[in-house]
Amino acid sequence: MTEQAARPGIPAMFTQPPPIRDPLVTETLDLQNATLAKCLPFLKGIHSSQKDFNEHGVPALQRDEHVSYLYDSLEDYPEGFVAMDASRPWILYWGLAGLAMLGEDTTRFRERVVATLRPMQNPTGGFGGGHGQTSHVAGSYAAVLALAMVGGEEAFGLVDRHAMWQWLGRLKQPDGGFRVCEGGEEDVRGAYCAMTIISLLDLPLALAPGSQARDAGLETLTSGLPEYLSRCQTYEGGISGSPGSEAHGAYAFCALACLSILAPPEEIFHRHMDMPLLVSWLSARQSAPEGGYSGRTNKLVDGCYSHWVGGCWPLIESSLAGKPTSTEPPANSLSSREGLTRYILACCQGNNGGLRDKPGKHVDSYHTCYVLAGLSATQNHHYRTDTSVSSKNFSSSFSWKSSPNRSADNVFSRGDRLAPFHPLYMVPHKAAEEMRLWSEAHPLTV
Amino acid sequence: MGETTYSTDPEWADVTPIELDDGSNSSVMPLASIAYPPEYLEATSYLRAVMAANEMSERALKLTEAVISMNPAHYTVWIYRAKILFALNKDLNEELDWLNDVSLKYLKNYQIWHHRQVLLSSKPHFPTIPAKETTFLMEMFAQDSKNYHVWTYRHWLVRHFKLWDSPQELQDVEYLLKADIRNNSAWNHRYMLRFGPRDTDSPDAGMVNAGDIEKMPSEKGRLTVVDEEMVDAELKFAQEAILRAPENMSPWSYAKGVLRAAGRGLEEWEGFAGKFVEGGGVKSSHAVEWLACVVAERGEKEEAVRLFGMLEEVDPIRKNYWGYRIKSVEAAA
Repeated sequence: MTEQAARPGIPAMFTQPPPIRDPLVTETLDLQNATLAKCLPFLKGIHSSQKDFNEHGVPALQRDEHVSYLYDSLEDYPEGFVAMDASRPWILYWGLAGLAMLGEDTTRFRERVVATLRPMQNPTGGFGGGHGQTSHVAGSYAAVLALAMVGGEEAFGLVDRHAMWQWLGRLKQPDGGFRVCEGGEEDVRGAYCAMTIISLLDLPLALAPGSQARDAGLETLTSGLPEYLSRCQTYEGGISGSPGSEAHGAYAFCALACLSILAPPEEIFHRHMDMPLLVSWLSARQSAPEGGYSGRTNKLVDGCYSHWVGGCWPLIESSLAGKPTSTEPPANSLSSREGLTRYILACCQGNNGGLRDKPGKHVDSYHTCYVLAGLSATQNHHYRTDTSVSSKNFSSSFSWKSSPNRSADNVFSRGDRLAPFHPLYMVPHKAAEEMRLWSEAHPLTV
Repeated sequence: MGETTYSTDPEWADVTPIELDDGSNSSVMPLASIAYPPEYLEATSYLRAVMAANEMSERALKLTEAVISMNPAHYTVWIYRAKILFALNKDLNEELDWLNDVSLKYLKNYQIWHHRQVLLSSKPHFPTIPAKETTFLMEMFAQDSKNYHVWTYRHWLVRHFKLWDSPQELQDVEYLLKADIRNNSAWNHRYMLRFGPRDTDSPDAGMVNAGDIEKMPSEKGRLTVVDEEMVDAELKFAQEAILRAPENMSPWSYAKGVLRAAGRGLEEWEGFAGKFVEGGGVKSSHAVEWLACVVAERGEKEEAVRLFGMLEEVDPIRKNYWGYRIKSVEAAA
């Protein structure tokens, strides 16, 4: 078999196996080799499905096709999708978020989003995955963010914030963490989703009567939470879903974003995380030569980690930059933005719109959303300033700004720029800020 | 399947089903509506009704099984099922047998594993670990040796039944590492068996001292009482793994964690790591990083910069990170 040469403009490190490879074959290596073989024609820019290459040998973002795919993802599903019955708030979130990054106006969906979510809200607080389903923090997170993206009185007013506050109090655990639903598991996702909801909706922090955590002596929804997250750091340096499990990229984002809501990253990260160990582990998640991220040590590259791991970098970089000032700090990238951009644009775009885990996998709206989020994060420089739209608690969460990244390792075309997203809330900055300001203007009395 | 059953079944005649409201009743078209199969629509309508009444009955239990068979990702039905099982004082071993089949059928599902944990949490039912439990987990690992939910469950199991020193735990870890020395989940489990916190009166943690506000994050993992013999054996185990595949990151990280737990420095592996770096080309980027950390700690700036520079060559995707390490070395007093 003759090895077909790569398109011009692509450095060899993105088209050749890593410099050091062990001969010992195990299942892990077999899977890695198979993945590399699948990715190589895409990385080299020689796969027949790719088009519109730039001078770096990178195919263009098929913007119109992704937009169509995402609009379609918000419409009807055939009966084979019954497994998504408990994830309909997520379908809304992924679709709207993807469209927002691609520059589409999501406010046009306001009425339909409200109509869809209304039956999922429970009078006892929170949103379930569908009508008659137990309220769940993940579904509630997706619902609240979908409402933020469509904006407006009707959307913000849909949420029963008082009941939400009481319900979150019942999820709070004596060890500082949150369960994902009553009777459900406790994990880092629960913590991040809860803090997102609490801070965007400006909920009172005191624990509501009837809270198990309150009976155990905790005072607020945030009590013991940083310590809980600290206990999720593993000997590898990464962060697990719950204490004692394996370090995992998706949970790393949830934990770091949750900490960054609780306090400025430059303060709280250093207090609760072994930073050198964390940064080393995070950096080791970038796969070579693919350029994308894996979620765990010795696991395969997957497009969704473009966000879960890639989205950790702005938070880490901000924590290392120190106290914010009135001016933009210099952009110091600790990862290969070029590698990630190449993986996303060369390997993750489906033939007819939508983005995917890796070549050979089907596109879906989850991957479309989080692969785009990874691309958006790498195209922009996210930093905190010393001003916030909020002067209340969690004000630092509302002090993030961004500017287009102009560094030399930009290998995407000018037309491929995506809108920046708030690095903690994963919606446009304006959507997060407006929901927060509306909530502050409608204080809850408890 | 295909024919509707509950509406014509006398057993269900007293229940008024609660029809699905997916937003279609409003003046606008809802988003992401699903064309549910009629039998799913009907079953979930009855589910909503019995859940609303908090019914704890045999028929409701059967209904949860029907819904699970059509959509195992329906988390609500699992929670309801667990409640019914306890309320009716059902045979939980029978439930486990059923659950084993469901788990093997839906390998990616994770509601199953929380459900299993809820069952086994019941001390009256399970004062000790059920006999076939670890055998079944190994059956799961035979399908996917890195299944995150199964490993998370197994970690919980170890802590709940205090199995850190159970020979079965280490034996299974070693079996899996023998099959694939790169199975990082198995390495993580080994670390928790050897060095994880064992005080079940305090909350669990990936490392001891974590979450203790009196201690610095750099003190995470540091044991107060160290079994040096065990530490040496674990270091030897890691070295043997590294010799088989030097570029495998798992045992290098493991060894770092072991030394951290023991309060011993990285320099004791300077000679070992050196074997993979000098003479005949670099055999392990992790060995280079190890040496770079050792010399940086000793304040040998020039050598540290040289080694981190070498990493820019052998691990180029992390060039920016190595550059950051170089800057940190240069900035150090």
